[in-house]
Parts: sequence; C-alpha cells; structure tokens
Amino acid sequence: MTVVNLQYYAQLREQAGASSEQVRTAATSLQELYEELRARHGFSLGPDTLKVAVNAQFSAWDRPLRDGDTIVFIPPVAGG
Amino acid sequence: MRFRLSTEAVDTASLRDGLKHPGSGGFCAFEGWVRDSNEGRDVDGLEYEAYAELAETEGDRIVGEAIERYGVTDALCVHRIGDLGVGDLAVWVGVSAAHRDEAFRACRYIIDEIKHRLPIWKKEHYLTGDTQWVACTHVYRAHEHEHDAGHAHHHHGERHAARPFAPDYSRQQVLREVGEAGQAKLSASRVLVIGAGGLGCPAISYLAGAGIGTLGIVDGDRLEASNLHRQTLYGARDIGEFKAVLAARRVAELNPTVSVQTWTEPLHAGNAVELFRQFDLVLECTDDMRSRYLSSDAAVLSGTPLILASVYQYEGQLQVVTARPGEPCLRCLWPHEPAPEAVGSCVLSGVLGPVPGVFGTMQAMEALKLLLDLPRPREPVLLLFNLLDVTLTRLPIDAASGCAVHGGCVAVASSSMAHALDEREIDLVFDNLEQAVLAGYRLVDVRESEEIAHEPLDGLPSLHIPSSQVMARVGELGDGPILLVCASGRRSGHAARLLRASGLRQAYSLEGGVLSLRVAG
Repeated sequence: MTVVNLQYYAQLREQAGASSEQVRTAATSLQELYEELRARHGFSLGPDTLKVAVNAQFSAWDRPLRDGDTIVFIPPVAGG
Repeated sequence: MRFRLSTEAVDTASLRDGLKHPGSGGFCAFEGWVRDSNEGRDVDGLEYEAYAELAETEGDRIVGEAIERYGVTDALCVHRIGDLGVGDLAVWVGVSAAHRDEAFRACRYIIDEIKHRLPIWKKEHYLTGDTQWVACTHVYRAHEHEHDAGHAHHHHGERHAARPFAPDYSRQQVLREVGEAGQAKLSASRVLVIGAGGLGCPAISYLAGAGIGTLGIVDGDRLEASNLHRQTLYGARDIGEFKAVLAARRVAELNPTVSVQTWTEPLHAGNAVELFRQFDLVLECTDDMRSRYLSSDAAVLSGTPLILASVYQYEGQLQVVTARPGEPCLRCLWPHEPAPEAVGSCVLSGVLGPVPGVFGTMQAMEALKLLLDLPRPREPVLLLFNLLDVTLTRLPIDAASGCAVHGGCVAVASSSMAHALDEREIDLVFDNLEQAVLAGYRLVDVRESEEIAHEPLDGLPSLHIPSSQVMARVGELGDGPILLVCASGRRSGHAARLLRASGLRQAYSLEGGVLSLRVAG
C-alpha cells in the first residue's frame, strides 16, 4: 500500500467535496489511482480529459506511485 | 424642448423659420456633416447611438445655458442618430439674437458642449469594411477660454492655452523598466480582447488606462442583469446592449486617446487567424471552451502571443502561449476540446465576482509584461490559483510531451482549424426554404412525424427521415447537396456532422431550424 496526498481542482474538487485528501491505495500507477478515485467519488471526467501532476511537475499516467507523492488532477475550465 | 434627437433627415428650413422673431437682428447656424475621411482613413458612413433620455435632457439644458449666457433670443439644436452616409447632416444648431456677436458665440457654445457632454457615440464605417467607435469627448471648447461671458473685449488677463485631454502616464512611466520608451511601445501596440465579460472587464480597463494604442474587443453577447456582479465596466441601465459596444464606450470615457475596434459576433474559425494577424497580442477572456481552443489554434497559426485565463467557482487557470516555435499551446496540455457538459460554466457552476476579476487583472499584467518586455520567468507554466485556500501552483509545461508527439503545435492547429472550418460551413442560414430549394438543395426533414404534422414545411418537396434513422437510411439521400431541417437546428446539425464524417460531403443543416424561419418570416 502507498500513502499519497491528493489535490483536486474545479469539478473534481466539487465532486470530491474537498480540495485535498490523503489516501492509502493499492494502485500502482496514476491511471489505476484515478480509476479507483473515480469509482469512489463519482468523477464525471475521464482521464483523457485531465492533466495529472506529481510533486509540482506534470506527469505521464503510467508513472508508478511512491509514498508521500503529492498528486494533482487538473481539468480544463472555461468560465470567464 | 429646444433640443431633440432625430432618426430622420432634418428639415433645416422649418427649424430656421421657427427661430424668426421680430426682435432678432441676426441668425447664425452651424451644420455638422459626415465627411469621407477621419485620421487618414476613408469613411463611407457612420452610425450615431445615443442614451436618448439623458441626451435629450442634457441637450435641452445646454441650449438653455447658451440662451442665458449670451442673452440671445432663441436657439434650437437637432442631433441625428442611426445610420448616416457621407455628406449627410449630423447635427444642426441655430441661434437668433439681437446682434450677430452673441449669435455666433451661442452657436459655438452649443456645438462644443453637445460634443463634450452628450452621451452620443459615433461608429465609423470604413471603405475597408471594418468599423470603429470613435471617442467624441476630447473637444476644444472656445467658451472656456473667454475671459467673461458676454462682453470681454476690454479685459486682457492671463490667457489659457487650448487643452484637449492629455493623458498622464507619469505614475507608470516613472518605473525604470517602463519610461518614455516603454510608454511609446504601449501607444504603438494593438491588443485584442476576446470576451468583454468577467475576465475582459478588468483586462480592458487596465489596458485602456495604460495607454494601449488600439484595443480590439470581440463579444457577441448582450449584457444581462446576471452579469453585473462580476462585469465591472457596465451598469444597470446598460442591460440589453452589446457588451462590445458598451465596453468601447467605457474605454472612450476612460481614455479617449485609445482607438477601439469592436466585433459584435463571437470569434469563429472563418475569421480567427486573420483577426489575430491584425494584433500584436491577444487576451482570451471568454467563458467558452470552443473559443479558447480556437484562440489557441489561431495564436499558433498566426504567431500571435495569447494570454489564456479561465475560472471555475473560486479558482482559475492562467497560461501564456507565446506562439514561438517549440513553446507549448493549450492543446499541449489538453489535446482535445472536452464536451461542453463536462466543463461546467458560470451559469451552471456559479462564480464569485472577484474570481474572474483577479484573473482578468492577471491577464492585463501579463499583457503589459510582454508588451514592455519586462523581466518574467521564461519557463512555460500552467498557473493554478485557488482563491479560497489562497494557494498558487505553478506547473512547468513540458512542450516535448505535448503537440510535439503529434507533429508539433502548428500541424495540430492546422488540422484542428481545417476541421472547425469544415464544421462551420455545415450550418447554413436561409430566410425561407424556397431559397434553399432554388439554390439546389434537397430538403430532408429530420423531425418526428408529430412535429411535422404540427408545423409542415409549407408544401415544399422534402424527404422525411427522423434524425435517429439518418445514418441507417443514408442510401436514400443521394449524392447532391442536401439540407437537413429540424425544429432548432441542433438535431439537424448533429446529423449533418455524422453524415459528413461518413463521407457525405454535401450534407448541410438549416441554422436555427424551423424556428428561425418563423422568426425571420
């Protein structure tokens, strides 16, 4: 199990009901982690519409998870 | 009322007759005409727009002041509004008085004050096809330089120099990085703001205040009451008017030295690249995802730097697309435009007014940094700013993992733009369907049977295929041009796009559907 810190933006924050949380996960990649969270929070957006960043750097979805990673999922927004 | 606005040509003879009084020994009139050029540009007409209620009250007051001030017998003034051609009379002032001197001076007073004080705006139409709102506020007023109203012939006190509005940029020019050279750069620059809403309002204000030479404003929307909590350029009395026009007026009030060009339709694939080429820098301030992607593509294709910002509830994003080879665009982050329902909007998700205010202000700041070449981090980033937590996140963008994987930003933008152009020409506008039939289109009614029974297509020959069956019955459609018709244009538009994608190049959709015919007819 890996312990990671999550930050949510825009619709994801709204749907998760929090702007951050810490989770223990069996997921091994960002892709798996997102699917797990999507099932839990009912996120409407698919990973193909999001960018993901780990420790303040954009990252590929197949990146393995490490303890203590800070992970941010970012959808594009359009309000103005 | 001694002042009125007129939508029709002015009968000057009867106005003159109305000023004849036995005690008048002189009559003086001034006529303002539309001329064929302004500041070196060929003009083929113009349009006056007025805040009528206020203009008439204030106009009447001005004429009254002139009568009182100069002791003339009578005076009248008429100002045209609406569309005028070259040579048309735009404003008429007439004064009758016992002696000529008062008549001349009262006439001059009225025309100067009218131009200075009345809420009337002039939009020039140029031979080149574009238009521009022209500020009429910085006028020289002769009476301000009279020593005392009435008879001042013998007084030789200190004379004031004529002073049209002179902007004072000293507070920004004193900055070492700006200076006179920087100010000159700003005066020579042309900046396009797409969207005059929550982001656009502060951006436009700061750019106008800073003395940008030319501001372009694109917005197809009219002001609604629900805009006012965040769109700070406007007031309650502006509701219902085009925001681009309102914003242009506000700029003319704020800094009359700024030239403003307006577009009252949204950016579209047909004009985006050409429009971007006319400007040094573009700010994307709409709340529309399609416009944001179109702007990113147009920036890349025209090589024009673009400052993108958008907000969601209490947070937002900012990205500067420099449009230089090898530097990332919007598609480098999110390659495809997400579906509208997945994105959220101010309407559905809500937004607190200061949030776009902060981001629009940041866009203005980024614009000034680029125009003045101020020190700034060169690394391309996506900036996330949450105003509830007050957390700012800068995420460096790696261009190598973006469009570069699909042939580079230019290749990606070209194919996206070609697709958008293709989609754009699917929707056709007709005033009536006879025109479409005459133009050679075969009509395909994709509504349900009950809808057709309720509102048939005026006995015109048409094929009936409900929208859900269009793809299954593609064989019945033939090879010629077909025009799909539904109630609103949505189902027919969607069906036409599916048909295009399946290879039917001549599938079109009636824009606005049957509803638009009813409105137009």
